[in-house]
Amino acid sequence: MTAVEAFGLTDVGSVRPRNEDHFVIASMRKSVTIRYSSLSADEMHRWLGGGAEAYLFAVADGVGGRPGGELASGAVVTRLLGYVGRAAGCYHQFNVDEEHQFLERLEQSIRDTHEEILRSHGAADKAPATTLTLAMLVGRRAYLVHVGDTRAYYLRGSRLRQITRDQTIGEYMMDLGAWTEAQAAKASAGNALSSAIGGSEMSPSVGLIDLEPGDALLLCSDGLTKHVDDQQIAAVLGKPVSAEAAAQELVAMALAGGGTDNVTAIVARIA
Amino acid sequence: MIQKKICMVGVFGAGKTCLVQQFVHSIFTAKYHSTVGVKIDRKTVQADGTDVTLMLWDLAGRDRDGDISVSYLRGGHGIIYVVDGTRRETLDQIFELRTIVREAIGEVPSVVALNKIDLKESWALTPGDDTALAKEPWHILRTSAKSGEGVDATFNWLAKATVAGASR
Repeated sequence: MTAVEAFGLTDVGSVRPRNEDHFVIASMRKSVTIRYSSLSADEMHRWLGGGAEAYLFAVADGVGGRPGGELASGAVVTRLLGYVGRAAGCYHQFNVDEEHQFLERLEQSIRDTHEEILRSHGAADKAPATTLTLAMLVGRRAYLVHVGDTRAYYLRGSRLRQITRDQTIGEYMMDLGAWTEAQAAKASAGNALSSAIGGSEMSPSVGLIDLEPGDALLLCSDGLTKHVDDQQIAAVLGKPVSAEAAAQELVAMALAGGGTDNVTAIVARIA
Repeated sequence: MIQKKICMVGVFGAGKTCLVQQFVHSIFTAKYHSTVGVKIDRKTVQADGTDVTLMLWDLAGRDRDGDISVSYLRGGHGIIYVVDGTRRETLDQIFELRTIVREAIGEVPSVVALNKIDLKESWALTPGDDTALAKEPWHILRTSAKSGEGVDATFNWLAKATVAGASR
């Protein structure tokens, strides 16, 4: 069984009146307890796979400038927890077809949440919207679903890699070759989201990565990455400290850097 | 609905992600992003009158920091080996990757996509390379993720081959 140590925290920051970020860390255990049997309990547990554990990590950042951003990010996180309960039966001992089914269900739960928000608020430009970065860790495989500009990183050795790609207008225009990086950085619309749950466009990006013992996984809102660069993140995650200490240091650095946005970080260490 | 897992395999920068983006979203991404882990997209196509959903596993390219992860190949029904036709060395590596794939999942329908044919002036592959490729049991197509040439043909051929269980 993969041992995981995880911690998350969020802070309103120094400028915003309220915190529209939300996060969740959840774990699931599927096990069978043998009460009485003539057979060897150890042998049966081996076949039943008792104790398999999965973890859900999610960060959602309500879109500022819209009504109810906090509501949208909270609704997404709450809905995910409901999904996790339903999916609990299928995370255990995947075969390949079930793995695809699982990812589809995960993605569908996000599409359903998006539709639900639009239905209850009418037009997309009036609905509360949110980003979401979700990682579900089953064994050492992390399944990721991502919408918007919250991010997932992992550190292996001293190398930090950003797993997700921001879904912003700037990135989109650079992808098309229409803007240079400098143009994207300067444009007022550069940081606007090209995809958000509750937004006019919503295109979840799905992926996975196999983590190794010693790796650290970070999920965060842009309130962190506005003030803490990749090198600083790598330095903090690379310290031999607990997930809690690392997450607290990252958030403290964002606040010390200005705290211009709500800031959220989840750090998970794979033992 | 039939589902087939297709793995995109090749050296970094060969154009695996661009081929998937062109096939699934009909867009060409001008900016290079290296894939971290696996990015998964899907598209449903018709193969001999049957709907087939291709689950496209775009694997991080082989680079000096690491080889492709065998665990990602498991359960693959088909492979697309992507060669950057302007970088001769990416072809040599395809033969090594083929050994890794075969050891991991056995013989499955495979296509070699000789990508970037729009860059004719920089094309680095020779007729001798074509001969060497033709000795292996894989289907060979020339593609351009930029113009879209050969892209649908690559995925559609593989869809049909995986449904039929054909290897060539």
